[in-house]
Amino acid sequence: MDVRKVAAVVRREFVERVRTKWFIISTVLGPVFLIGITVLPALLAARGSGSTIAVVDEGTGTFARHLVTQLGSGNRFQATVVSASAGNERATLDSLTRLVQAKLLDGYVAVSPATIESGQFEYRGRNVASITNMAVLESTLRQAVTTERLTRRGIDAGLVQEAQERIHLDKKRITRQGATGETGEATFFLAYIVGFILYMAIFLYSVNVMRSVIDEKQTRIIEVLVSSLRPFELMLGKVIGVGSVGLFQMAIWGISAFALVAYGQVLFGFLHISPEQAAQVQLPVIGLGMVLMILTYFLFGYIIYSALFAVVGASVNTESEAQQAQMPVTMLLVVAIIMFPMILNDPGGKLAVAMGVIPFFSPIIMPIRATASEVPPGELAVSLAVLVLSTFAVVWLASRIYRVGILMYGKRPSLKEMVRWARES
Amino acid sequence: MSNDSVVDIERITKRFAGHVAVEDLSLAVPRGAVYGLLGPNGAGKTTTIRMAMNILIPDEGTVRLFGDARGGRHHSARIGFLPEERGLYKKMKVRDVLVFLAEVKGVPRAAAAQKADRWLERLDLGDWRLRKIEELSKGMQQKVQFISTMLHDPELLILDEPFSGLDPINQQELKDIIVELSRGGTTTIFSTHQMDVAEKICDHVCIIAGGRKVLDGLLAEVKRVHGGTHVAVAFEDGDEKAVAILADRALVAKADDYGPYAELAMAEGADPQRLLERLVQSGARLRRFERIEPSLHRIFLDKAGAEHAGPAQEVQRGRP
Repeated sequence: MDVRKVAAVVRREFVERVRTKWFIISTVLGPVFLIGITVLPALLAARGSGSTIAVVDEGTGTFARHLVTQLGSGNRFQATVVSASAGNERATLDSLTRLVQAKLLDGYVAVSPATIESGQFEYRGRNVASITNMAVLESTLRQAVTTERLTRRGIDAGLVQEAQERIHLDKKRITRQGATGETGEATFFLAYIVGFILYMAIFLYSVNVMRSVIDEKQTRIIEVLVSSLRPFELMLGKVIGVGSVGLFQMAIWGISAFALVAYGQVLFGFLHISPEQAAQVQLPVIGLGMVLMILTYFLFGYIIYSALFAVVGASVNTESEAQQAQMPVTMLLVVAIIMFPMILNDPGGKLAVAMGVIPFFSPIIMPIRATASEVPPGELAVSLAVLVLSTFAVVWLASRIYRVGILMYGKRPSLKEMVRWARES
Repeated sequence: MSNDSVVDIERITKRFAGHVAVEDLSLAVPRGAVYGLLGPNGAGKTTTIRMAMNILIPDEGTVRLFGDARGGRHHSARIGFLPEERGLYKKMKVRDVLVFLAEVKGVPRAAAAQKADRWLERLDLGDWRLRKIEELSKGMQQKVQFISTMLHDPELLILDEPFSGLDPINQQELKDIIVELSRGGTTTIFSTHQMDVAEKICDHVCIIAGGRKVLDGLLAEVKRVHGGTHVAVAFEDGDEKAVAILADRALVAKADDYGPYAELAMAEGADPQRLLERLVQSGARLRRFERIEPSLHRIFLDKAGAEHAGPAQEVQRGRP
């Protein structure tokens, strides 16, 4: 093998790709997205004055005022009491409806002694789809109604207050290093992001290898190339070249992520976000070992899929033909992504362990498992061993089909024909 | 076969689904030759060249380059190859493409860039070197591709239809370069069906038709052996008076009217002097009467036309 020739191919693939608009845009958008998901929740917490709602009091005495205080204690609602004198309820509600239509009010809920007894409340508003707002409204109402009912039946208000004290379940992950500061939500979120980025990166970059193969075939430059260097050298150079573009991009993203964690406070200060609001944003901490493991899986996942996509590219004549021909390979990746919720639900379960060994899924599944919980070192070793060995086998097989396919034009070969190429070449 | 052959093809046969593209073809290209591979469309020229370059593997027979049967890629640094189907990376800049194609032949980057600039300048493409390939006209792209075959100073150039698609000025330029390189010791094989071009620059020719070799050898030798005696005649005002004489098969075997003049192939053993006498006696006013070498065109038509039976078709799908 001629290293200099491979290097020339690597260089071309790298330089030509890094120069494209697509690369520049996606590289810049990565950190922007990262900043977005970090800063947005804090910003929203800062700006959110909440929904303005009216509580229509149809003769409940202190209940309406109590409810308004409760609703106002979070920062979701700005509530006011509107008293409706007896016989005047209809007119009051109509005028409130007009206020909602004029967007001066977000919504209203009417309370009367009858509704407190029956527990049937009705909220009318512009946006009833906000699940969290409605959930908060409902639980606040429940609490207020419970207090009211108990008080009416003569139970001491202080006692009721004590019994109503909210509870909070804090979820912390335990790893071998002991309890971490991460919450359950942050872990779940992180695992999801890791899985999704891996899926996108493996898919996009290996499809780029396929595009490059088709381009050389379509322009017929392939005849000059195969008379200059071995098809395997060409394929190798392509895979390394496109892969290093991927690693380069990830490095840029990684560095900006680290910078965000390190200088996050500066950024928050710049955007006038108070430390209390910033504290609501959980920045997950990823260790170096984890980073290395994710990169290893990305690398082998990318190699195995780019070899498969190179075969697809070598077996077709045009990009549009490739759309159809790439389906079987794409499906493999899609299966992995469909499994996301099930794996996250039970990262140590039988399904997760099995998927973690299959080389076409493990590059995405194993990093998810490892971020969501602890993976036994034995399972990790088996998964990696199977992945590395399969990668060699797939690349070997793919290169044999590739070197025949790149010089073929005309009808697309059947799977049987491809097997024959692999055997004969 | 001479030991000094740069390309030595021995009895190669290539079959594709349903038909034979090349059959039992042998040829030897001596060092320093300008070798024309001539034949009508579908004769098997491209298939032969692809087998010579090891892009296709012959079903039978052997190909030796520089006396070595391992195939073109092992000598890629010594060979410049222009395939029939042209194509370059459309999105790349002219100079970058040239440097890349030289690099995969093993030329160091800096040297490749320097040579690329020199050749681009020579072929009037200097101002285009930083443009993308897709911005160039077809003819310019073809010139760029031709440059790419020479950047590594190959000993052997294999050019498939190098002149097709070029205007007369660029054709001339290409011819000049081939002749110049040949003086410097480069061996060139090129395929064409343009006989006038081949006639001007080839010293060796090989005519193939229907996948088989019809004849080959030194151009002068081919003309001497296969040509017979030829005469060019032209008349002042019409050839009515000479028609009968030209139709005399004892004297003239074949007449090709090219318009301004006619090329006559003399019948076996007939004397041109005798023809001239008869024409003068007939009273036809001669403007030209000249003993000429038979044109390659004539020989090609005679030889390839006879062999070339049935509709020719270009082979699209290869199977190594």
